[in-house]
Amino acid sequence: MARMALEGVRILDFTWVVAGPVATRILADQGAEVIKIERGDENTMSVLGPRRTGLQGELHRNKRSAAINMTKPRGLELARRLAAMSDLVMDNFSARVMRMWGMDYASLANIKPDIISISMSGLGHTGPRCNYVSYGPTLHGLAGFTRMMADSRGEPAGYGYSYADMAGGYSGALAALIALWHRKRTGRGQFVDLSQFEALASLAGPALLDISVNGRTQEPPGWRSQEALAAPHGAYRGHPRGDDDDRWIVIAVRSQAEWERFSRAIGNPPWVTDPKFRTLYLRMRNREQLDAHVARWAATVDADAAMTLLQRAGVAAGVALNGADLAADPHLAERGFFAPVKLPDNSSTRLTGVPMRLSATPGSVRTVAPEVGEDNDYILGELLGLGRAERAELVAEGAVWG
Amino acid sequence: MNERGALAGLRVLDLTDLKGHLCARLLADMGADVIKVEPPGGDSARRVGPFVDDRPHRNRSLFFWFYNLNKRSLTLDLGHPQGAAILRRLAEGADVVVESFKPGEMARMGLGWDVLHALNPALVLCSIAPFGQSGQYSGYEADDSVLTAMSGMLYVNGFPDAAPVRPLGLQAYHSASYYGAIATMCALLARDSSDEGQGEGQWIDLSMQEATASAVEHVAANYFGTGEIERRRGTLHWSRFFRVARCRDGYVMHCTLGDWTSLLEWVNGDGKARNLTTDLTAPEWEDVAKRRADAEHLFDVLDEWVKDYSRDELLERAQLLRLPYASVRDPEALFDDEQLLARGYFHEVEHPELGRTFRYPGAPYLFTGSPWRVTRRPPLVGEHSGEILGGELGMSAQELAALAAEGVI
Repeated sequence: MARMALEGVRILDFTWVVAGPVATRILADQGAEVIKIERGDENTMSVLGPRRTGLQGELHRNKRSAAINMTKPRGLELARRLAAMSDLVMDNFSARVMRMWGMDYASLANIKPDIISISMSGLGHTGPRCNYVSYGPTLHGLAGFTRMMADSRGEPAGYGYSYADMAGGYSGALAALIALWHRKRTGRGQFVDLSQFEALASLAGPALLDISVNGRTQEPPGWRSQEALAAPHGAYRGHPRGDDDDRWIVIAVRSQAEWERFSRAIGNPPWVTDPKFRTLYLRMRNREQLDAHVARWAATVDADAAMTLLQRAGVAAGVALNGADLAADPHLAERGFFAPVKLPDNSSTRLTGVPMRLSATPGSVRTVAPEVGEDNDYILGELLGLGRAERAELVAEGAVWG
Repeated sequence: MNERGALAGLRVLDLTDLKGHLCARLLADMGADVIKVEPPGGDSARRVGPFVDDRPHRNRSLFFWFYNLNKRSLTLDLGHPQGAAILRRLAEGADVVVESFKPGEMARMGLGWDVLHALNPALVLCSIAPFGQSGQYSGYEADDSVLTAMSGMLYVNGFPDAAPVRPLGLQAYHSASYYGAIATMCALLARDSSDEGQGEGQWIDLSMQEATASAVEHVAANYFGTGEIERRRGTLHWSRFFRVARCRDGYVMHCTLGDWTSLLEWVNGDGKARNLTTDLTAPEWEDVAKRRADAEHLFDVLDEWVKDYSRDELLERAQLLRLPYASVRDPEALFDDEQLLARGYFHEVEHPELGRTFRYPGAPYLFTGSPWRVTRRPPLVGEHSGEILGGELGMSAQELAALAAEGVI
């Protein structure tokens, strides 16, 4: 059995920004050899931070990078030769880009008949809007997510982050694995047309069935439960920690047994026996008054202490952790979630780790993100067998950035 | 086209509750035979609304439907020794078991990794738990909202001076389920990687907290990268290139990545915000770093400009100029979306038990060689118990009646 699950799988990676690199990062973490093809003349993504740390460091770790100019015929030729040695080719361009380069599935299948090509475009390769330009946050807007994340006044209030990029990235990684499985069983490759818009829409979930089946106009759910009913249920401001008053405890009390444990844990204040809070139905109906009581209690307690107190009583509760809290979280530390890495200048940092633990073939953070073109020697020399003179010629021609 | 689907021939036992339902569904959609093992009386998700015609009933939960399309249903009391024994027999012939019990619960029922692995060395066990199988929080309770809090996701949603706003759509469960399906496929590929035939399965420990923390781009990443603690900024995306604006008939999403010159010409050409745009013509705004640094000012100016547009007008014209603007639409708009309709995104699924056909949202991806497919509507409670236990395990009608009398099935 292999040491890593995807040992021996090679991916030619044209993806950029976030969604595509999330997909290939997940595969790289499990041992796939991911070869990024990038422009060496401008690093358009430098606005998202330096390459080896933070988000960029997380997106591109465990990968290799070649700076190949796809607008030059000999650059294209190099990419085609690499495709012929690869199991998968992945991109997140709109349909016309790979076609223009002669790197679309039909062309790739001529070079390597069992190739798997996964294109993770914004809105898909077909349809009247296939050439729309989009980013994760704009897809939230189109898919209804932004509108459904409103505050108590009904104003859109989200997102601080881009879940669309994750929906696209996860489905891209899963599609790659399913296509590899299919190829192993049948010997056949295929093309996967992944629309990030559709990947996101498919996670709107039961709300879409409520529209199509019941014809109900959706309202932003706020803290109304999107799963089993719960009351109290919300984020309650905890006691300030030093001068930080942005401390919040999330509590979800679902069953009657949980309500009784919750009441006991907070010391059975008189209001918990108020008849208007007796059953879940009544607590849901009178939730504003209930929330006011819980908020008054929470304000007297440190959020971390509240979590420990409630969890010991078997009540679902958790602190709204910020970046510093996550970095210091004792449970994540105990599980070794964040991965320490050493940078070439001998400084060190940490990266978000691998969120799935396979007992026999664990994934890992093995190498830090390469600078653009850092692996030209390996990719052009070792993989393609080009000599020093030939590579110098390619650089001189502008087909490769050296 | 391989019509049976890429995962045809794989047998998956789905023991999850609503936290992990999506995981096995992702495999079922691609052709795996997924058996949803439910407690007698039905899975707890069947009690979660909304319901068809708002009539609560265990076979009418749209929540259950969404996450259990393409699965079969077997009712089995795993807490009963005979129920666990039947599950072990099924596990002997399965490729994958997915579960989301509290850590330790599977072992207590006689279904722990050691037992299952000894019975069927090729089996992959995927365990999805709120905080994973080990560590000091592993016994903690959580729903989706607690997990979004404990992963850094909740803290950055909403306005700076107000309470965090809950993310839409069970993103902790979804993130964990996707990672569960990804990990399961990795384990299956590792198992069958040797040419000599089947290798060994393995045990996947999936922490929903970790999966959700990985789904937030910037919270831990920027803390480690720069020491910055990311906070809530309303609709301003952390990258500072996107913000929501009010327009004539609703809201739009600004985007200041893309061709600045085209955007500026358009804004100036409209003359709608002339006083405000004079300062945007300074060449320094061509630098994307400047647009990032002074994002609030830039968006304030652009807010003035878009306020007389309608959502659709702005979207169409922006896209003609290849500017990644978007309209902020209601989810209902998806059902009339010409792009989704042209690509056949929605699927009509027949529910013979109700004599009706319903429109379901479709696939996250289009496979051209082995399709994503709807092969069966979500199962009724225990709909396939007979065919699985009688037909496939060869149990007699007498045995089944005895089990039913004991409350095992």
